[in-house]
Amino acid sequence: VTWDITGMGAIANIGGSPRAIFDALCTGEESVSPLRAFPADKYRGGYAYEIDDRARPGRDEPLRATRWLLDAIGQALAGAGLGEDLTDVPVLVGTTLREQRSAELWWREGTPLDPADLDFLPALRTRFGARDAWTFANACSASLYALAMGADMLELGMADTVVVAGSDSLTESAFGTLDRVQNDIPRALRPFDTSHKGMLMGEGAVAVVLSRGGETATGTPEARLRSVSANCDARHATAPDPEGITRAVHDAHRRAGVGAGDIDLVMCHGSGTPRNDETEAGVLADVFAGRATGPLMTAVKSMTGHTLGGSGLLSLVMAVLALREGAVPPVCGLTEPIPAAAGLRLVRGSAAAAPGLRLAQVNAFGLGGINAVAVVEAS
Amino acid sequence: MTGTWDGRRAVTVTGAGLAVTGLAAPADLLGPPPAGGGFDPATGLKGRDLRNLDRASRLGVRAAAPALADAGLLDEDGRYTGEATRTAVVVSSNLGTLDMACSFSDTIARDTVTGLSPLGLPQTSSNVVAGWVAIRHGLRGPNLTVCNGATGGLDALFWARNLIAADRASTVVVVGAEPSGEAVTALLGTPVTDAAAAVVLESAATAAARGARPRAGLAGYARAAGLPQAAGKVRGLLPAPSGCGLWLGGPGDAGVPAGTPRLDLQERLGPLSGALGVLQCAAALAHLDGSGAGPVLLTAGGAGHEAAAAVLLNRSNPGKDTP
Repeated sequence: VTWDITGMGAIANIGGSPRAIFDALCTGEESVSPLRAFPADKYRGGYAYEIDDRARPGRDEPLRATRWLLDAIGQALAGAGLGEDLTDVPVLVGTTLREQRSAELWWREGTPLDPADLDFLPALRTRFGARDAWTFANACSASLYALAMGADMLELGMADTVVVAGSDSLTESAFGTLDRVQNDIPRALRPFDTSHKGMLMGEGAVAVVLSRGGETATGTPEARLRSVSANCDARHATAPDPEGITRAVHDAHRRAGVGAGDIDLVMCHGSGTPRNDETEAGVLADVFAGRATGPLMTAVKSMTGHTLGGSGLLSLVMAVLALREGAVPPVCGLTEPIPAAAGLRLVRGSAAAAPGLRLAQVNAFGLGGINAVAVVEAS
Repeated sequence: MTGTWDGRRAVTVTGAGLAVTGLAAPADLLGPPPAGGGFDPATGLKGRDLRNLDRASRLGVRAAAPALADAGLLDEDGRYTGEATRTAVVVSSNLGTLDMACSFSDTIARDTVTGLSPLGLPQTSSNVVAGWVAIRHGLRGPNLTVCNGATGGLDALFWARNLIAADRASTVVVVGAEPSGEAVTALLGTPVTDAAAAVVLESAATAAARGARPRAGLAGYARAAGLPQAAGKVRGLLPAPSGCGLWLGGPGDAGVPAGTPRLDLQERLGPLSGALGVLQCAAALAHLDGSGAGPVLLTAGGAGHEAAAAVLLNRSNPGKDTP
């Protein structure tokens, strides 16, 4: 069984649509910028991948994650040729931090906060009339987890179409704690490069329209979703576990009815922490060990930063464009791969021309050891 | 949106546990507080095993263990005896990380980030409770956190059921956890009780295979703009028009027949937010375990909220087969 991806939307630091983000990724130009959201003197590091859209520079404002979410869903609906009435269409949103930035601003600066706005339901109802909406706080695998839950709804016959999305904005508590725990302070997010020093947060939202295929589909879908796996390491609260990640990859392949030999492209989680990069590279090397030539690989966080809950689905949307365009963006800043990644075909320098790609694997791993892996197919 | 739990994909409730200030066991939700005083957060949330855990996670862990024990899924050393990779965790919590976010912001403003504890990293993410529950018992199936406002607890039951129906899991520990705290009290404008509940859902086949007693069957879930619509949809799943033995919910009109016994847990315990639906499920299980009449209607949300949700539990038989 496959599901049609009929519309896509996204916003990130480097662009306000999937196409703009993909084009920017293909340039491979550095995109990190000095921290704007919070007073830099309170932090050890001073860089992030923010969306620069505040009305007054240097003054943060509430409900930015909500604003981007609505934007991304609007784009996806337009792309799918659907109207904006989601009264009878389920909406599943994955996020790490919800609107906790709005809560911080309420607590610190007294801006208003309705408890209901902590998730995205009021905004989704106001803009789209959505009633069957759920917010899943599943850390950095949240939007792929939401995609799994959405695909299950189609499989169980509960809906013919679902909207799946993700959104996150920087929070002081998360940005600050991350800044506190990383031994070295990264100047940029450098997945799989020996210079990698850790993760830097980004911001953004992403959405797709997922529909039952077959007769109800109109036109050619953007791509087809083959599977999404979802599991938990149940081992460590913050460190990734190769066993859990390997299980998630194999389960995604099994559900899709494909083997490791069929995968043409891997969108890595690639968060730029030495721990993630070594673990993920090791797992990928093992999974694809039997192949003479492994799949092409890339990691979009090298230019978008870690967009947290939406990052998995953003990788998936970029995979769809890569399959369609026959081009794979490079891992920005990758010059000297870590030993564990030495045998992987990570795209470097400039976009790789790659016609005829058919199947992409998309990785997303989150705090709490929660893993989700999707397989998507060119239409 | 209406989800029905039909014969082929029947889901049963096989265990429940609580960590609620002043209560000892799910049956206490139905009657007077226990003579012994019940759960006391001052002592109950302490212990070596809870070191470095945030308050919501402590509550969640303290509710999950008795639920698994009640379901007969822990051995005498407290080890999980079910199939770990087929066991999922679903948590509902809206306010669990609020006090952390606010206090961390205070610390940064006062002391810069150097004042933060590196051990706080897991609790910056809203899925922290689900992670700790999974780690505690080695539960390696899907791990989902629902932050969905007033209906979140009932929504968590729905997603747990879907994980079983889609064959991603055969057993699911569903936890609702909402801690007390300064910021929570300020946001809601009223003091909040430390409250967590957990229930164990299993596919009927899995429960039967291990000889577990099916104590309640989940018959359906509905979500709608208003309470009467949501309640009407799940009551429509009953084989014949009939009343409910108990309605756990309110205030407000859910369109149930006059005279239906009603129990509003929030009237007694204060705001329960995302924990409500799971506490209701634990209460329903206790009701059906006793001599209580079924079916039991659970409702949350409605007037003043974004939506309403309803769940229907039967004594043990699943709902009717509905396409």
